[in-house]
Amino acid sequence: MIINEKEKIQIAREIIRLRLSQMIVNEKCKSGEFKIPVHLALGHEALAIAVSSIMQGKDKLLLSHRNIAYNLARAPLLPIMNEYFLKPAGLAKGRFGSMNLINPRRGVAYTSSILGNQFAIAVGISMAEKLFDGKSITIVIGGDGAIEEGIFYESLVMSRSLGVPLLFLIENNGWSMATKIEERRKTINLRALSGSLGVKYTRLSGNDPYEYINKLQKLRASIIKEKNPYCVEVKITTLGDWRGPKNIEYPDGKFIQYHAGSAPNIAPSDWPLIKNSEEDPLWVLAKRFGEKKLRAVAKRQLAKLRQKIS
Amino acid sequence: MKYVEFINELIAREAEKHDQIVLFGQNINAGSFVGGFTKELRVKPTGRIFNSTNSENSLCGFGFGLMMQGARAIFFMKQLDFLLLGIDQLVNTYNIIRNMPGKPTGSFTIMPIVVDNGYQGPQSSLNNFADFCSLGRIPGFTITNKLDAELIIRSNMVSPGFRIIAVSQRLFKEELIIPNKPVYCDNNLTLFQYAAGKNATIICFNFSFPQGLAIHNALKKAGINTSLFNVNSPTPINWSKVIADAKKTEKLLILDDSKSQNLSCHSLLSDAETKVRLKKKLVLVKKFDGEWLIPNADQLEINIRSIIRRLQL
Repeated sequence: MIINEKEKIQIAREIIRLRLSQMIVNEKCKSGEFKIPVHLALGHEALAIAVSSIMQGKDKLLLSHRNIAYNLARAPLLPIMNEYFLKPAGLAKGRFGSMNLINPRRGVAYTSSILGNQFAIAVGISMAEKLFDGKSITIVIGGDGAIEEGIFYESLVMSRSLGVPLLFLIENNGWSMATKIEERRKTINLRALSGSLGVKYTRLSGNDPYEYINKLQKLRASIIKEKNPYCVEVKITTLGDWRGPKNIEYPDGKFIQYHAGSAPNIAPSDWPLIKNSEEDPLWVLAKRFGEKKLRAVAKRQLAKLRQKIS
Repeated sequence: MKYVEFINELIAREAEKHDQIVLFGQNINAGSFVGGFTKELRVKPTGRIFNSTNSENSLCGFGFGLMMQGARAIFFMKQLDFLLLGIDQLVNTYNIIRNMPGKPTGSFTIMPIVVDNGYQGPQSSLNNFADFCSLGRIPGFTITNKLDAELIIRSNMVSPGFRIIAVSQRLFKEELIIPNKPVYCDNNLTLFQYAAGKNATIICFNFSFPQGLAIHNALKKAGINTSLFNVNSPTPINWSKVIADAKKTEKLLILDDSKSQNLSCHSLLSDAETKVRLKKKLVLVKKFDGEWLIPNADQLEINIRSIIRRLQL
């Protein structure tokens, strides 16, 4: 599909909406208004919008505890915020909270706060799609921590053996809670692992939403045609880092990538850029459209969001 | 007819009736067909039977995924202890699914074989079916005879929702027990009463029904008429029927062959202690001596003469 300029700006608007929505949620986290735990996904917005954009018909999306960007891509902020406040007006009537938030009407079939648990459910859902539908795919999201779990390997083996239309989308942000990959394990060569099972593999990086949409759309078509799973690893940065206490080993404090709760150094603004690099999807968008144009979009979005949740 | 042959026939007849049924498990359609349990299963063209990978955790999740899409999934499992690998799914996944709005249209049934036939060694002898159900308040059923097998498989194997239906390996090659028609059975098929007597109340847990029936029959010959109950579901059930019976007989005999520290029968005992003035209470459970982990016969031993003597006193 060729994305025209009008659609491109609409996608940019959506990415900014996701960024600002999360920043507003972060403000509530900072003030301690939620009883539920929150795992922000600042920096995941371009991927979330791309995944949401390629979903069609009965496609299903299965998520992890860090599901906020995908849920925001499929629903407005207000019902999600209400869910976080466990109100009956919440997206799931206040019955699922944040880490298990689902939205079946919009294809968000299941989310798991147990690392990797969702992979196996996705194999079952995609098996049913294969047997009874044949026109849709299942997309399951996990992280570089989840692929350490045995269930990831089991699910790859099962999905390939059964030939199901399933897209494994692995967000590799390099961290699991407060430990980097190299602090906890050897490198997992996902290309080689997938390849050994006959599961095709692709890597995405750079936070260009249009490139992501194009590539994922082609993968979706190929998965339906070939009736086989596909593994996509996405290099991503979860923004909102902080530093641990200063000590001899870490004179400036140890760098910790954001994991959960509030991101203390982040606040909503008319220009919600967090990092001046391609780790931040807004920086990528600003390069394309110019900061001035996007600032105007962000200002309007922020006013609109604040009005809606007030 | 043997126990396993009868259950296999029931499963096969039920499975071929339904659309969108997916039967899976390790070696269910090859070799010994899991010892005859899954022999000659057939499904309609809309269904599927397949020998699965050896990945119990994922297979449990897989079944839930199928159920969520409206399919009828049945996972046949060679040993109950393999289900230990799927506990995350039994508890966490099931908690999400049962919290979802609306009633489920699909179904998922796990049918494990409880390896209680002994001589397995330190591993592969876990028979604590109630523990699995207790972890997530999961509907679960044990099958011990012709009547409970018919009712439970016909009404639960493919009905919407999730449950575990367990069978006993020890009973596989035994002649099928055909008890009298139950005098009482609750709507959920959790509690069956096979006889009503005025001299004592016998109640069997886990897979101890054969022993309970043997005691009931021996006592009858000795002129002691007993009520005979079997608890088919270890999830919390209403004990009022048993309590009312024990109030009449004032003698309670409990059998539980589960090797758990938290026996289901404790719940009944607790209720009975507060509500019934018992003249006699016998609780027959598995004993654990220093050799319980080495290969052994591994079944609840009963001494019928001793039981008769103690109940007569």
